Amino acid sequence: MTRVRVYIAGMGLVSPIGHGLSQTKDSIKKAKKGIKPLSLFPTPQKEPLPVGEISESFEINDIPRTHKLALIAAKEAMADFEDIPDAVVIGVTTGGMAITEEHLKTGNRDPESFKYHSLGSVANYIACEYQCKGPVITVSTACSSGTVAVKVALEMLRAGKARKILVGGADSLCRLTYYGFNSLQLIDPDGARPLDRNRHGMSVGEGAAMMLLVADEDVPDNAIAEILGAGLSCDAYHPVAPHPEGEGALRAMLTAIKDADISPSDIDYVNLHGTGTLDNDLSEAKALNAIFADKKPRLSSLKGALGHSLAASGAIESVISAITISGGLIPANIGCNIPDPELNLNPVMKPSKADIQIVLSNSFGFGGNNASLVIGSPKQGGHPVPLNKTSHLTVVGCACITGAGNTDKTIENVSGGKNCKGMLSISEISKDLQLRTVRRLKRLPQLALSLAFAAHESSGLSHTPSSIFFGTGWGPLSETYDFLTKLYESNEQFTSPIDFVGSVHNAPAGHVAIMFKSTGPNITTTGGDYSFEQSLMAASLLANDIEDTMLVIGADESHEVLSGLFDRSVLLDEKPSDGGGALCLRKSETYSGLKISPLFFENAENNSSVISSLIRNLGDPRKINDEYGSLFVGIPSARRETGEKQLHEFLSLSGFTNPIIDYRKFTGEFASASAVASVLAIRFAQNGEIPKRLCGGKTFRLNRKGILILGLGNFVTAIEVTT
Amino acid sequence: MEHLLNELKVKIVETLNLEDVLPDEIDEDVQLVGGELGIDSIDVLELVMMIEKDYSIKIDNKELGTEVFSTLKSLAEYIYQNSPETSN
Repeated sequence: MTRVRVYIAGMGLVSPIGHGLSQTKDSIKKAKKGIKPLSLFPTPQKEPLPVGEISESFEINDIPRTHKLALIAAKEAMADFEDIPDAVVIGVTTGGMAITEEHLKTGNRDPESFKYHSLGSVANYIACEYQCKGPVITVSTACSSGTVAVKVALEMLRAGKARKILVGGADSLCRLTYYGFNSLQLIDPDGARPLDRNRHGMSVGEGAAMMLLVADEDVPDNAIAEILGAGLSCDAYHPVAPHPEGEGALRAMLTAIKDADISPSDIDYVNLHGTGTLDNDLSEAKALNAIFADKKPRLSSLKGALGHSLAASGAIESVISAITISGGLIPANIGCNIPDPELNLNPVMKPSKADIQIVLSNSFGFGGNNASLVIGSPKQGGHPVPLNKTSHLTVVGCACITGAGNTDKTIENVSGGKNCKGMLSISEISKDLQLRTVRRLKRLPQLALSLAFAAHESSGLSHTPSSIFFGTGWGPLSETYDFLTKLYESNEQFTSPIDFVGSVHNAPAGHVAIMFKSTGPNITTTGGDYSFEQSLMAASLLANDIEDTMLVIGADESHEVLSGLFDRSVLLDEKPSDGGGALCLRKSETYSGLKISPLFFENAENNSSVISSLIRNLGDPRKINDEYGSLFVGIPSARRETGEKQLHEFLSLSGFTNPIIDYRKFTGEFASASAVASVLAIRFAQNGEIPKRLCGGKTFRLNRKGILILGLGNFVTAIEVTT
Repeated sequence: MEHLLNELKVKIVETLNLEDVLPDEIDEDVQLVGGELGIDSIDVLELVMMIEKDYSIKIDNKELGTEVFSTLKSLAEYIYQNSPETSN
C-alpha cells in the first residue's frame, strides 16, 4: 500500500435526540429538539437551566456516565465488525467528573472510588472492551476534542501506523460544566438558538459518537463516507473568547479544504459549530463569509437540537455529516426563528433532502482550539494520499522543572546521584514570567508557561514555535478543586469563572499559544503516565502540517488532596513531587542535531507479547545494543511489579548490558515524569556520556550511541534520542 | 459611598490577584475594564460573582455589565442603589 484513502466503515452515536443511527435519522427528519430543564442532578435553583440531557437510565455502579455513553456508541460502530481495532482515539473533557463531584461533595476520600476519574480512562475502557493492543490516545482540546481526535486518527492511518482505528468523542453532563458555563454567562435561559438574532448563549449537553475509520488504497462499496481532510489552528488570542474576526476559524477551514484537495465551491453543506453564543456565531460567520462570500453552501447548526456536548460534539457532528451524505438529509438549524442579519448566513430552517457529496464540519473550543473536517461521499472520487513517513524531530532546545529546580539544577542532582523529588515553590516556577501574565494562573499553567519559556530560550531561536503539543496526566488540579470547593461551600450558588476557564486540560497549552502567538495546531493529550508520550506521538504525526518549530510539553502538578486520590503511584512515594519537561523541535529533513522519535506505544493489558512486539519494532537484539548506549526506564510505583517483569523480559530478550536508569527514583512520582527523563536523555546524549554516579562509579561514554526511554506498566512505550 | 468605594478597591485587588496594584491606586473615574489595570472580560465575570455573593446583586447580562463596570464609581453607584442593605 503506497497511497491511502480513509473511510468510515462503521459508526454509532447517542445524543439527546436519539439512541443510535435509526432514532437519530428519524429525529432529524422530524426536527426534534432534545433540550429541556436539567434533571440529572438536583440544583438549589428553582428552575434548572435547559440542557441537552440523554434520557437513559443506567444501572448505578462505579462506571461513570461518560464511559457508558462512549460504550453505547462504540457498540453500534463495531456491530458489524469482528476485527480488533489497531488503535483507539477519543476526545474527552469531563471523563468521570460527574462521579468525582459526588465523592468530593460527600467527603469520600477512598482512592478506589476515583479509579475512573481520568479523561484517559474512557478510551482505556473502550480499548479494553475491544481488546485493542495498540495505542490508546485521549485528546482534550475542550469543545473541539472530538474533531481533533479524528484528525489524529486520520494522520495515524495516513502514516501507516494503523489500518483501522476506533475514534470518537464522549462527555456527560456534570456540575463543573453546568455551573461553569453559566458562570461565564454563556447559557441561554430559553435554550440555545444558534444564529438567531435574539440568541443568548448555548445549552450544555452530553452524548457520544464513535466511528471505525479504515485506511485502504480504494474505498469499498460499503463505505459510509470518506474523511477527505482535516485542519487545525489556534487563535492564540484569548483563553475563552474566539477571535473577533474569526481568523482562527478561517485558518482551520482553509487548511481542511486544502488537505482535502478540494475548493470551497465543492462544499455542498457546512455543519456549523454554531453554539448560539453571541461571539462564537459571529466569528464563525465572519470566517464563512470570508471563504464563501455570496456563494455559501447550505448550512446549519445542530446545537439548538442537541445542546453542546463538548468533546462529543465534533464526533456526533461527523457522524451526522455522514448521515447527511449517505441519506441526503440536511438537519434543520433548530432554535433559530429569525436569522441575525449581522451574520449574513441563511441557515437551513427545515429538515430537507438534497444530494450532498461533500460536507465541511466545524468545531471550535476554549483555548482558541479550532478544528474543521471535510467529509465526502465515497462515490465522489476522493484523492488517495501518499503514505506519509513520520519524520524524526530535531531537538533545538529543552528544559525541565523538578523539585530540585530548573534544568541545570536537575541535571546537577541526577548526575550526582541525588534525587529531585519534591515541589518547586510557585515563585521560583514563575520567576521569569510577567506578573500580569500569571496573576490568574495556578500551578499547572505556570509550570507549562515556565517550561515553554525556558525551552524556547535554550533554543536560541528568535522566532517562536508555531505549534504547541501538551501532555498532562491529570490536568489543572488546583483550578478543578477550587472550583468545586467554592461551589459546595456556597450550596451550589457561587463559583469562580476564572477557575472554570482554567480547569480544562488544554488551558495551559492555550496560555503558551497566547504567549508565543502560536497559531498552528495546538493539541493536548492525556492518559495517566503515558500522556507525554501521546503528545510526542501527536507532534510526530502532525509534523507535516507544522511550519518550522513546535513545542512538546509534558507537565503535572501535585495537589494535596486530588493527586493522592487520582494517582496511586503518588501515595507510594516518600513525598509529593511534580514538574515536567519541554522540547523545542523542528522537522529533521531540514535541520541537523539530536533527534527524538516516538517509536512504540502498545496497550499492555491482555497483551502477553507486548515486549516481544517492542523488540521486533526496535529491530533485533543486536540492533538494540548497537544503537542505544543507555536505557531510561519509567515504572510508575503503582505498577512496579508488572513493570519490573516487563523490564526483566526486555533485558533477557535483548541481552542489553549498557547502563539502565530507573528515572522515577530521581524524579519522584508524577504522570509526566517521562518528559523530565527525555530532557535528561537529551542532555546526556549531548554530553556524550552517562555520569559515573549513575553507572557504578565509572563514566559511560555513549560513543555516538543513542538513549532509549522506555515507559512500562499498563502501557509499554519507547522514545529514542539519537545523534 | 466613600466607604463602599474603598471596600471595593480592596475586594477587586484581592479577587483578581492584582499583586502589582495597591487598592488606593485604583482611580474611581478611570475606565475599569481594558484599562491600565489589565482587567478583562473574565475578570469582570469573577467580579460579578463576588458582587452577587457579597452584596446580593445580580449582574447577569453583558449589556448591563458593560454599563455597570464602566468605572469603579459606576460600579459603586449601582451597588449602592440596588443593594438590599442600602435601598431602604
